[in-house]
Amino acid sequence: MGFAEVGCIECHSSQQRESVMKTLHTGFGEITYDPDKVIRFPEGLIGFEHLRKFIVMPVKKDDVLFCIQSVEEAHVAFLLINPCLFFPDYQVRPASGDLEKLDITEDDSYFVMTTITFHKDKTASLNLLAPVIYTPRTDRAVQVVLEGSGYSTRTPLPKVE
Amino acid sequence: MLVLTRKVGEGIVIGEDIVVRVMECKDGRIRLGIEAPRDKKIYREEVYERICLENREASQWDLQKLDALNAILPSKGSR
Repeated sequence: MGFAEVGCIECHSSQQRESVMKTLHTGFGEITYDPDKVIRFPEGLIGFEHLRKFIVMPVKKDDVLFCIQSVEEAHVAFLLINPCLFFPDYQVRPASGDLEKLDITEDDSYFVMTTITFHKDKTASLNLLAPVIYTPRTDRAVQVVLEGSGYSTRTPLPKVE
Repeated sequence: MLVLTRKVGEGIVIGEDIVVRVMECKDGRIRLGIEAPRDKKIYREEVYERICLENREASQWDLQKLDALNAILPSKGSR
């Protein structure tokens, strides 16, 4: 399970940094984080526009799956995954308005991730219609909508046993 | 709800910086032109609602589901 590793990472960084760590009581337990190291969604996620700050926690060793945990509402967390693992042709480029929101230029690197939804029938799906673009340089992220792309909010993944 | 009647070519102004104009009306469909600052997010209503719903559902998960997902994920090296 990834969260034990997350704890170690957080402890390690706290030893190197002087800033005051904060603690969050989430559904997964107590999480200690550095308030200077949150990522910001200038517009929140769609339907969650009021939540602007999240902490990122890797939940698998090889950096394909992340949990973003709201620091403003402890019960809100999302799983983000690199959709290219399953859909290699999936490509998203930030529009000019998105570049402004992310405070980057076209030369900056960015990552495209999608949320994962679990369903009652034990399947999981990806929201390819509204991916999240994250830029490490500014630590900002936006959820964009690919209107007219034909992508679905519920693109199925292989069955989760 | 404010209800206004407009003809093709006419528009409405919302606030200081948004103009919505009726471009065409044909076969029960109305084409709208919208002028707004780039930072204003504009979506078709049903698309916006579908994504709201999906985000709400995506926020509902637990560690068991995460473990199940981890089990089926391809590792990076195998790409």
